[in-house]
Amino acid sequence: MYVRALPTTDVNRNTEWFTYPGVWTTYILILFFSWLLVLSVFHCSPGMAWTIVHLAHFTVTYHSFHWKKGTPFGDDQGIYNRLTWWEQIDNGKQLTRNRKFLTVVPIVLYLIASHTTDYQHPMLFLNTLAVFVMVVAKFPHMHKVRIFGINGDQ
Amino acid sequence: MIENSKAKSFASPLLWANDIFCSKSTGISWNSLAALCWIHRAKMDTNLVEMFRAGLNWVTMALDAPSARVVLFGVRIQWHIFVEVLLGFVIVILLSQKSYKPPKRPLTEQEIDELCDEWVPEPLIPPITEDMRHEPPVLESAAGPHTTVNGKDVVNFASANYLGLIGHEKLLESCTSALEKYGVGSCGPRGFYGTIDVHLDCETRISKFLSTPDTILYSYGLSTMFSTIPCFCKKGDIIVADEGVHWGIQNGLQLSRSTIVYFKHNDMDSLRSTLEKIMTKNKRSKNLRRYIVAEAVYQNSGQIAPLDEIVKLKEKYKFRVILDESNSFGVLGRSGRGLAEHHGVPIEKIDVVTAAMGHALATEGGFCTGNARIIDYQRLSSSGYVFSASLPPYLASAAITAIDVIDQNPELLVKMKQHIALLWKGLKDIKGMSLASDPESPIVFLKLENSSGSTKEDLLLLEKMADRALKEDSLLVVSSKKSFLDKCRLPVGIKLLVSAGHSESDLVKVSESLKRLASELLL
Repeated sequence: MYVRALPTTDVNRNTEWFTYPGVWTTYILILFFSWLLVLSVFHCSPGMAWTIVHLAHFTVTYHSFHWKKGTPFGDDQGIYNRLTWWEQIDNGKQLTRNRKFLTVVPIVLYLIASHTTDYQHPMLFLNTLAVFVMVVAKFPHMHKVRIFGINGDQ
Repeated sequence: MIENSKAKSFASPLLWANDIFCSKSTGISWNSLAALCWIHRAKMDTNLVEMFRAGLNWVTMALDAPSARVVLFGVRIQWHIFVEVLLGFVIVILLSQKSYKPPKRPLTEQEIDELCDEWVPEPLIPPITEDMRHEPPVLESAAGPHTTVNGKDVVNFASANYLGLIGHEKLLESCTSALEKYGVGSCGPRGFYGTIDVHLDCETRISKFLSTPDTILYSYGLSTMFSTIPCFCKKGDIIVADEGVHWGIQNGLQLSRSTIVYFKHNDMDSLRSTLEKIMTKNKRSKNLRRYIVAEAVYQNSGQIAPLDEIVKLKEKYKFRVILDESNSFGVLGRSGRGLAEHHGVPIEKIDVVTAAMGHALATEGGFCTGNARIIDYQRLSSSGYVFSASLPPYLASAAITAIDVIDQNPELLVKMKQHIALLWKGLKDIKGMSLASDPESPIVFLKLENSSGSTKEDLLLLEKMADRALKEDSLLVVSSKKSFLDKCRLPVGIKLLVSAGHSESDLVKVSESLKRLASELLL
């Protein structure tokens, strides 16, 4: 019943949790259950709930993957201090499975959100903006690029 | 033209624009728009207008084409289908890409040149300032009450030889016989064949003298404190320390990695409020180990810690006390047993007592006394004990003899106290400086009354005073020593270390000389 996980080859303790099996499934299940939660708390339409989930997902993942730099562990001597979490996973290798998965998820969320809200205006605009920023941030060409020095180092 | 689900189509931008232009309700037609353009730009090329109109017509027809209203499998085909299909293609392309590692871009020639041009080398040593040029005088004979500096005989007020035991014949005798019996070094740490019977005898002798259960000997006086503190205080503990503790204790506090809170120098109200704050503010404090670190006689200011109040506070707030009795062992108290006897506090109430033996006992090394468990713990966990070679045996036997001498000659203490009183009387009306130490402490501390505000300036002035005292009156006095690492912010001054070996004429001489120099230099 328990999955025997191989010890990971990733030495960066900030990102190694994403290499274990079951992370993808957990991620998708978290999104689904948060949609159910939003539906039950706010009593809104399903489309509105998906929009809320999509935008919340955008905020959380943008902040934690693409804004915050470095690791919470002090004993890695600060070698990752200039890299965001996105730039750290898989040791900087681009277009690995994890990265492809994490790029596809916001696009799928966008499609679901915009479809279930019937492409109505304020939600559509926000959703499109969110997915645009998200996908551009995840391009391999944007690795270690800081546009206009936003989030750059002093 | 477009009648299907107006609500949905209004949302679609292209169809919306189309609707605006072609709808009869708004009344604007392509023709009128072209006419407007024509009216606005008088010299507009009619060809362009024609092309424009043709293009718009084509777009309208394309959107109006029957496919726009095709229903495929019950799903109406509208423009968003194209967007979704497009995104689907994007996903498929993304998933089909191969993973690669981004190439490491080496620095270009230009970048290397730029970096080289910007680089400014840092000097190997910082620029030498005036206060760095001062060199303390070098003693050329034993550090007794009279020594030789630069070939001249001077009166020595710079050695912590409080009971005058340097050069005492009993100590010299025991040292010589120990040297003949054991040789010089002990060649090993205490745990690895470095323990000699003299060490054990010394430990028992100190325990008997102070009436504590057990003692442990260290081989270097300064390292006693900075091995003991990290032995007991670990990361996460709370230490409340006096802000005037000497550098050895500061080093120990830093090595312990505990949370350090300083209280105002020798101020019991500050200590009380600090303890109160710690105990009430943090709910977790009850589960953390808490210590108070203080010195019996502060090396940096000559104050004596009020041990009875500290013990009262410690019992109220449940802290442990670590006391450094280096300058009070053999000095304070009726029979020289230290601060506990001086204040009438039973020594069991202090958890850890350490002392360096290089002061009153005129040997070298240090010891720590207390509960048998505390001492036993240090035998395995204290870095200075485990990882340093043990005390040379002749020093340990000298320590035993020194304690015997103190025990048998209580008049040495009386004499020293008289000398302190005499010096106080002599220095009472010195101009420009004031006596900042306790009247009973063997360290007589003169601090500047009008300090210039910067420690460096004050030290320069005081060093000038000390140099003149040496040159003109053959007196060796010292100003407080401040190293770069010392974080103590107490005012600097002249320190006079009174010994029982000084004669009264020496004391009179030093007070006269200091009064003269102070009136000359400080006014």
